[in-house]
Amino acid sequence: MRNETREYNFDWMLWNLFAAASRLKSGTPKEYRVMLKYIPYFNRIVDTLLETGEPGQKFLEVCSQYMENLAFAKEKGKKTAVTTFCFSPSIFYAMDIMPICLEILTVMMTFIYKRGTAEFLDYCNEIGFTETSCSSQRGTVGAYLAGIGTDVDMFITDTPGVCDTNANAFSFAAAYLNKPFFQLDMPPDLTGGRSNEYHREDFKALIRFLEEQTGKRLDPERLKENLRELAKQDELIAALEDLARMVPNPLPISYNLMVYASRFLFAGMPECTGVLESMLKTARENATKNISGLSGGVEKLRAFFCYIDHYAQNMQFWQMLDGNGICYQGNILSHFWAPNAPYVSEYHQEEAAYHIDTTDIDAMINSLGIINSRMPMIKSIRGPYDAPHMWLEDTLSLAKMYSADLIVYNGTPGCRNTWGMVKLLARDTEKAGYPTHIMYADAFDARVQSWEATEERFMEFLKVRRLL
Amino acid sequence: MMQEFLEASTTLHNRHVTAWKKDGKKVVGYTCSYVPDEIFHSAGILPFRIRGFGAAETTIGDTYFGPFICSLPKCMLQLAGEGKFNFLDGAIITPGCDSMRRLDECWRKAGSDVEGVLPPFFFHYGVPHKYADYTIKWFTEETRRLIAAVEAHFKVKITSADLQQSIKIYNKSRTLLDRFEELRTLDAPPFSGEEALAVILAGTTMPRETYNALLAKFIARAEKSPGIQNRVRLMLVGSANDDVGLVRVIEGEKAIVVADNLCFGSRFYSDQVAEEGDPVFELSKRYLGHNDCPRMYGDYRRRLDILARKVEKAKIDGVILQNIRFCDLHGSENGLFERDLEAKGVPCMRLEREYGPLVETGRMKMRVDAFIERIQQRRAVA
Repeated sequence: MRNETREYNFDWMLWNLFAAASRLKSGTPKEYRVMLKYIPYFNRIVDTLLETGEPGQKFLEVCSQYMENLAFAKEKGKKTAVTTFCFSPSIFYAMDIMPICLEILTVMMTFIYKRGTAEFLDYCNEIGFTETSCSSQRGTVGAYLAGIGTDVDMFITDTPGVCDTNANAFSFAAAYLNKPFFQLDMPPDLTGGRSNEYHREDFKALIRFLEEQTGKRLDPERLKENLRELAKQDELIAALEDLARMVPNPLPISYNLMVYASRFLFAGMPECTGVLESMLKTARENATKNISGLSGGVEKLRAFFCYIDHYAQNMQFWQMLDGNGICYQGNILSHFWAPNAPYVSEYHQEEAAYHIDTTDIDAMINSLGIINSRMPMIKSIRGPYDAPHMWLEDTLSLAKMYSADLIVYNGTPGCRNTWGMVKLLARDTEKAGYPTHIMYADAFDARVQSWEATEERFMEFLKVRRLL
Repeated sequence: MMQEFLEASTTLHNRHVTAWKKDGKKVVGYTCSYVPDEIFHSAGILPFRIRGFGAAETTIGDTYFGPFICSLPKCMLQLAGEGKFNFLDGAIITPGCDSMRRLDECWRKAGSDVEGVLPPFFFHYGVPHKYADYTIKWFTEETRRLIAAVEAHFKVKITSADLQQSIKIYNKSRTLLDRFEELRTLDAPPFSGEEALAVILAGTTMPRETYNALLAKFIARAEKSPGIQNRVRLMLVGSANDDVGLVRVIEGEKAIVVADNLCFGSRFYSDQVAEEGDPVFELSKRYLGHNDCPRMYGDYRRRLDILARKVEKAKIDGVILQNIRFCDLHGSENGLFERDLEAKGVPCMRLEREYGPLVETGRMKMRVDAFIERIQQRRAVA
C-alpha cells in the first residue's frame, strides 16, 4: 500500500467525497458542469445519478450521511460492527451500533477511485489473506486491517452456510485484529420448523452477544420503531417492483442499485424511506406517461441479472446497458422477500416470505431472524440450487415475471458457491428458453478482466444469440 | 502389513471393498469427516471416504463445476463420471466447504446425463458452522433424518444398541490411533509420515473390525522398532490431502512428517464418542464439536492452541501450511498460523498447490528443500 494512502483516514475520505458530490447541484448548471471536470473519474457516476433528479440527489445525500455517521461514530460514543450487505442492519440501529457494511463501501470506492479498491485488495494478500477470496469484502476490509479506518469493535456476519468466502473474510479479520466475532449460521433449508427455530435461537444468541459487547439492553421500543419503518419501506419497494413489470419499464437503470444500497445501509431508518419515496414518485410519473427509464427512451431488450452487478470501472456496465437499449430488470440483490412483494404473491408460497410482527419482543426477534434469513443471497444460495425456494426457482420466476429476454450471471471469481453451480443453473435457464450469459469478470476488480473485454464478450453474446 | 495399509490407501476399489461387495453387502461413500461412520457400521454397511485420488484429468469435473473451484471435488466428480465409484451404493454430501457442497448438484446432474454415475442412495447432510446447544440439537435431528433415510433405502433397522456397539468399536480405533499418534511423535518415530498417512487413510476404506486388528498388530510391531532418526521434523497442516505421494515428496531424504492437522489425518480420529446416553445425540455432539476445521468460523484461537500444543509435543522443527488453490478457508487460516507460529519461533512455510496427480512435484520439492535448509541453518546457528 502506498504511503499516501495510509496518510488519510479511510472513512473520512469517503465521507468528504460523497458529501462534496451531494452538494454539486447546489450551484448553477454551468458551475456543475465545470465542477465535473475536477472529478474526472467519479463524474460519470455522479452525473448518471444526478440526472435522475431528486432520487439520485437523495441517494448521494444518503451515502454521504452514512459515511458521516461512520466517520464520527467513535466521537459519538457508538460501538462499530463490521458487517455484510446481506445482514439487515435493523438490529444494529436498534442497539445504537454503527454498522460498517463492507460491500457497499467497496462499491463506493469503485465509484470514486480509478484504482478502485486495488490497494486494499492487495494489502489483504500481503498479510496472509488469500488472493482467491471474494473481492467484495477484501476491497474494504483491507483498509480496516491496515488500521486506516475507524476503530472496529466487532465483526458480525450471517453468511456461514451461504457463502464461505464472505464468512471467511469476517472470521479472518476478527482473528487478525483479535476482535470479537459472531456469526448467524444458515441451515440449507429455508422453511420449516427446524429452520425457523434455528434462525430464532441464533438471533437470540446474537442479541446476547450484542448486549454483552455494548453493555446495553435491547430497547424494544426502538426496535419496534425500526421495524415499522421497515414495513413502510417494504411497501415502497413492492410498488417499485410492480412498476418494473411494465413494458416499457419506467425505472432508470440506476434505480435498482439505489433501492438495495439504501436498504443495506439504512433498513428501517428514515434516510432509506426518503430515497424510496422519491424514486417511486418519479417512476409513477414515468409510468403515467408510458416513458421508458432508459435515456434513449426505447426498450429493445429486458435483461435479468441472476446474481450481482458489475461495479468496477466507473459503472460502465450501466452505460453499456443504457446505450444499447437494454432494460435492467433487477438482480438477486434487489429482492428481499417481503410478504407484499409481487414475486411472493405470484410465484411463491407464503412461507418463503417474512412477516414483520411487532406485537412483543419475542415476535420482533422472530421477525428479525426470518428477515435476515430472506436477505438477498442468504435466501437463494443456501441450499441446492434446484431445491424449492432456491436460486433456480427464484431466477426463473423473476425472469418470467419481469418478461426478461435474457439472463446474465456476474459475480466475482471468489464466489466459490455460485461458481460451483452456475453452469448447471445456466443449463436449466437455457432449457427454460432464456439465453443465459455467464460473465467471467470480477464485479469489483477490473484487473481480473478489463471492462473492454467484459463488454466485448457481452456484446458478442447478444450478437451470436441474435438478441440485438 | 504396511503393504496392506498402502494398498488400501492407494487403491479405490481395494480388496476389502471387493470382498465386502462379493458378500452382497453395501458400501456408502461420504465426502467429509463430519459424517458419523458408526451409523453405517451399525447398519451393516461399509462407510467409505470418497476421495479424488487417481484422477488423471478433470474434464468431467470441469463440465459441471465452474473454473474457480478447488480441484478436490472436481477430481471426485471425475472419478464418479469415469465409473470408478460404481461400487458405491450410496453417497453422502456435506457442506464441508462451498466447493465440496456443490458436488451434490454437480454429481446429480452428471448422473442425469450418464446412467449409472449416481449411486442409488444420495443424501445431502447439513452440518452447522458453529457449536452451541441449539446447533447440536439441529445436527442431532439432521443425523436422525440421515438414519431414517438409510433405514428406508437399505431396508435396515438401526437401533440404539447397534449404534452403541458401533461406537465402542470406533472408540477402540480412536484409542489405538491415539497410541499410534504417540509413537509417531517419539524422538525416533517408528514409521515415516507417508506410512502414517497410509495407515490413517486405510481406516476410511476397510471394515472397521479388520482395521482395528491390523492397527493393533502394526502398533505392537512399531513399538519394537528402533525408529527413524536425524531427520528434520515437520508438521503438515491445511487443506485435505489423501495422497501419500505428497507426503513422500515433502519428506524426501531429509525430513519426516511427525504430526499433522489434516482432515484425512489426525483431525479425523481425535476424541472419543461418549458410550453412555442417547447414541445419536452423542455422535452428533462429537462429530460437530471435535473437528478442528476452519469451516467452523470464529474459532481460530482454539485451533492455534491445538497446533501450538502439537508443535511442542512432537518437537516440530517446521510447519508446512499447505492449501489447495481456491481453498480460502485453509489458505487464509494458514496466513494467520504463519504469523502467530513464526512469532513463537516456529518456522513455517506456506505452500499453495493443486490437488491431484502431483503435477507440481518439482516446484514443491524445491520449495520444501529450501525450507528444510532454512531449518538446518537455524539449527547450526543455535
